[in-house]
Order: sequence, then structure tokens, then C-alpha cells
Amino acid sequence: MEVVFLFTVGELQEILAVALQEGGDFADVFTEEKVSNSVVCEDDLIERVNSGLEAGVGIRVLSGQSTAYVYTNDLNLSAVKKAAHVASKAASDKVKGTTVVDLCRQKPRTVFEILRQPEDVPIDEKVEAVIKGNRSARALDERIAQVMVSYGDVVQRIQVANSMGDLVEDERVRTRFVVHVVAQEGSLIQTGYEAIGGLTGFELVRGDEPERLAEIAARQALLMLGAKPAPSGRMPVVMAAEAGGTMVHEACGHGLEADLVQKDLSVYTGKLKERVAAEIVTIIDDGTLPNKYGSFSFDDEGTPSGRNVLIKDGILTSYMYDRLSARQDGHPLTGNGRRQSFAHRPIPRMTNTYIAPGNTDPGEIIAQTKKGLLVKKMGGGQVNPTTGDFVFDVSEAYLIENGRITIPVRGATLTGNGPEALREIELVGSDLGFAIGTCGKEGQGVPVSDAQPTILIKQLIVGGTGQ
Amino acid sequence: MKNEEIAHWAVAQSQKQGAELAEAFLLRDKSFSVRVRQGKVESIEQAEERGLGIRVLVGERMGFAYTSFLAKGPVEKTVSQAIANAAKTAADKNNALPASPARIPELVLYDPKIVATPVEEKIRVAKAVEEAAFAADPRVIKTEHASYGDTVYEVSIVNSRGVDVNYRGSFCGGSVWVVARENGDTQTGSGMDYVLDFADLKPEVIGQEASQEAVAMLGAKKVSSQRVPLVMPPRVATQFLGVLAPALSAEAVQKGRSLLAGKLGEMVASPRVTLIDDGTLPRGINSSPVDGEGVPSGRTVLIEGGQLQTYLYNTYTASKDGTDSTGNASRPSYRGTPEIGPSNLYLEAGDCNQGELLKDIAQGFYLLEVLGMHTANPISGDFSVGAAGIWIEKGELAYPVRGVAVAGNILDLFRGVEALGNDLRFYLGYGSPSIRFGPMAVSGE
Repeated sequence: MEVVFLFTVGELQEILAVALQEGGDFADVFTEEKVSNSVVCEDDLIERVNSGLEAGVGIRVLSGQSTAYVYTNDLNLSAVKKAAHVASKAASDKVKGTTVVDLCRQKPRTVFEILRQPEDVPIDEKVEAVIKGNRSARALDERIAQVMVSYGDVVQRIQVANSMGDLVEDERVRTRFVVHVVAQEGSLIQTGYEAIGGLTGFELVRGDEPERLAEIAARQALLMLGAKPAPSGRMPVVMAAEAGGTMVHEACGHGLEADLVQKDLSVYTGKLKERVAAEIVTIIDDGTLPNKYGSFSFDDEGTPSGRNVLIKDGILTSYMYDRLSARQDGHPLTGNGRRQSFAHRPIPRMTNTYIAPGNTDPGEIIAQTKKGLLVKKMGGGQVNPTTGDFVFDVSEAYLIENGRITIPVRGATLTGNGPEALREIELVGSDLGFAIGTCGKEGQGVPVSDAQPTILIKQLIVGGTGQ
Repeated sequence: MKNEEIAHWAVAQSQKQGAELAEAFLLRDKSFSVRVRQGKVESIEQAEERGLGIRVLVGERMGFAYTSFLAKGPVEKTVSQAIANAAKTAADKNNALPASPARIPELVLYDPKIVATPVEEKIRVAKAVEEAAFAADPRVIKTEHASYGDTVYEVSIVNSRGVDVNYRGSFCGGSVWVVARENGDTQTGSGMDYVLDFADLKPEVIGQEASQEAVAMLGAKKVSSQRVPLVMPPRVATQFLGVLAPALSAEAVQKGRSLLAGKLGEMVASPRVTLIDDGTLPRGINSSPVDGEGVPSGRTVLIEGGQLQTYLYNTYTASKDGTDSTGNASRPSYRGTPEIGPSNLYLEAGDCNQGELLKDIAQGFYLLEVLGMHTANPISGDFSVGAAGIWIEKGELAYPVRGVAVAGNILDLFRGVEALGNDLRFYLGYGSPSIRFGPMAVSGE
């Protein structure tokens, strides 16, 4: 299916003028067209091959700190102008006279290389990648009871124009590959999971990548069949780099999003330039990283993506802003204004968030731990940004006894408090591992990646059922 | 073209292009929402959206494609894409579309008041939620926001076997997230409710409940790790029902990823547990005359007196098991194929009041909030969640506790149900009374 439309400069100019007719001091138009394809194999069959084409436009009018947002997927110019008029009437400030600056197309500062456009890849190749993953997981062991492999690609073309004269057009290509494995022994069922994704084309799954990912998921499910229940209580925790960065995302990331900070709803409010983490901790949010899942050239408000150091050597240096919160603080835009689709207004969001590598050898970190839990793989998490209490799910873990990795233990939630956990990071490894996820906030999901080196946290509460 | 006409045209077009069977699912909705904070409007959103999903069967192969462009040209291309996709999927004799239903339940799902109410009045509702939160307790110092929102929608399902259904509905709701502060301690609480009728929305109750929760948590402590009985109010209990729900899907059972597989007729929960799914529930937020593929909605007793009676079916899984669909093909969007999901899933109430539920508990934990419920594993049933609530001592609520984790297996949890409250309440599609459970692992200091 091919591109159907994007607006002309003249049309955008007209829409913006209508949006500011009745009031408001800023307006923008976000136009989106999305082509998606997915292939799913389960039960040893190609169950689904789905495709979709959708488009829509969202019009926002700001007046002071108040937002009016109207969206529609009727893309006739007259319908869009009607939507702009509705937004204008809903704007709470009736002071008229804000004019639209002539639109000027912005060039991207960061460009991403897409080697194989998903739209140019025959569907048979996508099906084949999924079949390869399925075969590899099933071949591993008789106890593999079910395998679900899915491939998906999305080509999103966006256009953002605002009343300050910025016009941005961009194409984002995202590809992901996910494997779920169920292993069964008697009445015991355990699962394994592995996912990769990026702002990248079909090259994501080149070579024997599908087999490699499927095997990781299958091995994890099998390992968990023989694992003991996770312990319960407070203990030192080593988090391997390959575990990904869910902990940093929850313990710190959400609390540094400027909307929550400005409403005094974040545990990090008013802590700028203060020590909020151990001195060995530096945390960065970087939307410009090559081909990562949370990368982009422009955010969903048309701001170029950026590399923002949030915490430097333990000192809080910056929050993450969208346009609305940046206006309030008089802060430069940081490129964190994101939205799930045209059907959502932008809010401050993370991109690729990570703890910067330190200089301790990862093996040494385990060797220095007398007794604790080694987290090898994390799942999802959640935080209450106001209290700072967070949880994250561990899907693969081991006990550490006298500096050595001993037995595998089953999944458990680890819980802690953001600022406390950051202060209690005692060692930071020289490695770095990424994991992808879909981050949810206010009902909007956006692709992100998180990363960290191997780290030692003095203590977290492990929510297991064992001793 | 009108909705039904587009749907009929898409089905005819699919057959013309070579599909043996075809189905068009068309969804059109309009929504409104407003958020207020400290008495001021923070945002207003209005939206209109529509889209079409086309499912075709070519031989025994199924293909699917969707589009938000509802003109003939793009719909024709979407049909071609669905047929091309079918060529790549596996042939499966159980792929089928339902026939025209004999009788469709009549339900009142649309409240004209939702559309007729002026925007100013809706803003007043959001403000009333916030005012009630502040009025409930002086220690409630701010809100993240208070909101009102509503949606009206129209669904058309047409297939080449004679299904031709068109219905509309609406719902509205409010929510608030509050912060309470005392002696340097900060705690949060939330309230929300969604209803079919505008007149049923009680902004005061939403605000009060959020404040009560936040204030109750002030001065929270930590406790040491131990196994104690749990008591959950309906809001928390329904979140645990959400972990059990996927195991009731016939698809999960057939694919070996349900912990209830092979347990029909067995005791899978305490004899006190009766679990019902009812897509025809009067005023149920997920009630509908038909499911996502046009099969009439029904009432299905899943667990009766602790014994597993049946699973939830759509047309495909029913064909595979040689039974009838229970009308549980769920389809929240035009972007996907019908999967299986509960409609209004609820646990039948008991007859205990709160005092009776807590009676005789020497040490226990009354849960007010769980964190990370989405990380529970619905396949193994293992859950481990962050928790906050009130510690129970000698049959009474004693002091607030936070920063702990509660872990176990969902089947063990429901096998351990010791008493049920008389306060059945729904939160979106899940309903539960307060529940007293047997001892579970609480991890702390």
C-alpha cells in the first residue's frame, strides 16, 4: 500500500490560521500516516499475516498552560479545518491576534540508515524469518510446549507544523521481532521471552538472528522449569548489563519528566543541582543513538532529538521537556515531546535511557558480592513517581553465594525507592546492555529502550516466596 | 456512504476478488475529555475516529487488513491486501465465520444525555470530582488532575454468511489522582468510575475515595517478611481477576498456555468462588448485543462453587473443540482480528461486611494499591507485585504499610478464598466483592 497524502505548505498555513482564529498563543498540526505489517506463528502454524494503513491529524492550541486538542482521521481539508476551528473555540484564552509565521522546513541533525525498507521486502522473507525462529525453539527440547514468534514493521510518516514557522517531515521505520516460549514438565509451566527492535529496517533479523533469539527464549523457559522459588526479603542485588534498563527507567526516568516535576508530583522536584545518586552514577537520555528502538530524528512536536545528561556524577542536571513544560520553565526544548499517535497529545517521555558505563570489571562485581541476587533479565516495571516507590519484574535470576553464581531462581518482583536505590549503587561495570520496551504513561504507549552496565545495589526488597 | 453500506460493499468486493467468505468490521467513534487541576481547565480533547477491518477466507486460509480510509479506492486495496495475506497463512479447517444469529439480545447501551450535555456541564463534573477530593480531608493538598471523559461509538459487522449487525453505545467516566501530605510524608490515592448513563456518574464519590486512600496511607511503615492472610477491596481484587482471565480463554487452553488446561470439572478455586462472564449484563460497561464477529453475547458461568465449568470461546476455538462460541470474540479496535476476551467478568458476592471479613485475623494485610500488576505471568500464574495498604492486627485495621511485595500463584490465591464481602463492584470490565484470602508471602525488611 502506498502513501496517500501529506498536506502542502499552503494547506498547513491555512489550518494553523484557523486554529488561532478564536484565541490561543500557539498552535501545531501533527499529521501521521502509518503502514504496518505483521506475521505471527503459533502452534507451529503461520496464523496471521496482517496489514494496515491508517492516517490522521491532531491539532493543538495552547493558551498559557492550557491545551485544546482535536483529532480526526477524516483528512479532507475542509474536515481538518473544521477540527482546527473546534480546537480554536476550545482554547481557554480568547485573546486574539497570534499570527502564523511563514513555514520553513527544518533539516534533521540526526539521520538513521535504513538498509532494507520493510515495504520493499517480499512478505515471504518475513514469513521465513518467523518460521526460522519457531523451528529453532522447538528443536531445542521436548519440554518446549508452545512457541509464539512474531515479526512486525511499521513505517510512520509524520509532518509537524507550528505557528512559530517550524515545519518538519520525517519517516520512521521501526522493526521488531519477539519470541515467547512455554515449557512444560508435568503440571509445571514456565515461560521464556526475548525481543529485539529498533529504528531500523528488515536488516534487524538478518542471518541467523531469528534462531539466536528463539534459542535464548527457549533456554530461559527450560531453565526456569528447574529453578527454585526466588528468595523473599531485603538483600544486595547485582544487575547484569544484559538485564536491560527497566530499573533506571522506573527508579529515575519517569520522575525526571518535566510535567510531573512542575506539578510537584515527582520525588525529584526541586532537586536540580543536588546530589540524588551515588557519585559513580551518570544517567543519560539519548534519542540520537544509532538505530535504537527509542531513537528518532525529530520528536512528535518537531524538535530535533537530543542527548540529555540527566544525572552527572550523582548530581541532578536536567529534566526531560516537551514544549508545554519547557514554556513554563523557560527551558530550551530537549526533544522529549512524544505521543503514541495523532490520537494523543504530546507529553514529556523518555527515548533511550541509560546508566553510563563505569570502570569496574563486571566479573569483579559478582566476585565482590558475598550473598545476593543476580538479575540476568528484567521484564516490565512500574513507579509511583510521587513517592518514588518502584517495582520491576525479574524473569531470570540466580543466587550469588561467596562471590559465585550458584542456582537459578524463578521470577520475582524487586521493589525499592528511586532516590534510595540510586544512592545505594555501589559498583558500576564497564559493560552496557540494552533492552526494548513499550513505555506506558497516561494511556499512551511509545517505543523506548533502556540500558545499564552491570551494577551492584546495596539492597532491594526481593518479592519471592522462598527463604 | 453510510457505515453499513461501506461494510456491505467491502464484503461484496472481497467475494468479487476471490474470497469464499468475507467479513467487514467497521468502528466509528467520537470522544470528549477534559482535565482540570486546582480548579482550572488544563486540557480539552475532542476526537472523531473511524476505520475498517476486513477478514477473508480463501480456501481454509485467513487473511486480514485494515484501513482508516473509507472511500471505495482504499477499501478495494485493503481487500486485495487481505486476500494477498491469506495466501501466506496456514490452511486450517477450523477457520470459519459465524452464520447469521437467530436472536440478538436487546440492550440499552446508548445514553443520548452524553451527547446532549454541554461542554460547560462536563467541565463542571471534572471540577466536582476535584472539589470533592479536596473537601474530603484537609491533608489532601493537590491533584495530578481530575478528569471527565466520554465516548459514543457505532459498530457495524457484516459477513457473507448473513451476519448484518449495527449497534451504537456510549459511556462516560471520571478519575482523579490526589496527593496527601502530613509531617513531611507524601502519599497518593486515586479514584475512578466508568458508567453507561451520565446520570449514574457520581463525581463526589470518585473524589472522596481517592482522598480516603491517600490519607489512609500517611505515615506508612515497612514490615518484615512473613506469610499472612490478605484482604482486598473490590478495586484490588479485580486486578487479580485480570491475571486469571487469560487462563479462561479457550485459545490459551488449546495452545498449552493456560494453567486451567485439562481441568474442566475439577475444583480450581475455593468452593466459595463462582465466576461469571456476562456480555448482556444490564449497565455493564462491556455489554454488547453481539461480540466482535457478530455472535450474540451471552452469560457464561465459568467457575461454579470452585469447579471449572467451561472456557471462553470465539468461533474458531469453538470449531476446534466441537462446541459453540460463547460470544467472547473481543475486538476493541478495527486494527485487529477478533481474539478471545471476557466481557463483564465478575466474582459473585458473599454476605460478609468489612468487620466480618477482618474478624479473627491476628496479623494480616489489607491491600489498597498494587504496583506492577502487568508483570504477573498469566501463563504460569505466578505473580509478585509491589504493594501498599493497611496492616491488620487482631481483626482491625491498625497502621499503613508500603514498600513491600506480595507474591504467589494466582490459583493458590483463589483456592485460598476464605470469605467474600457483600459489596460487589465493577471497575471497567471486572467485578468483585471484597475478598479475604488465606496466607500469602509478604516480602519486606
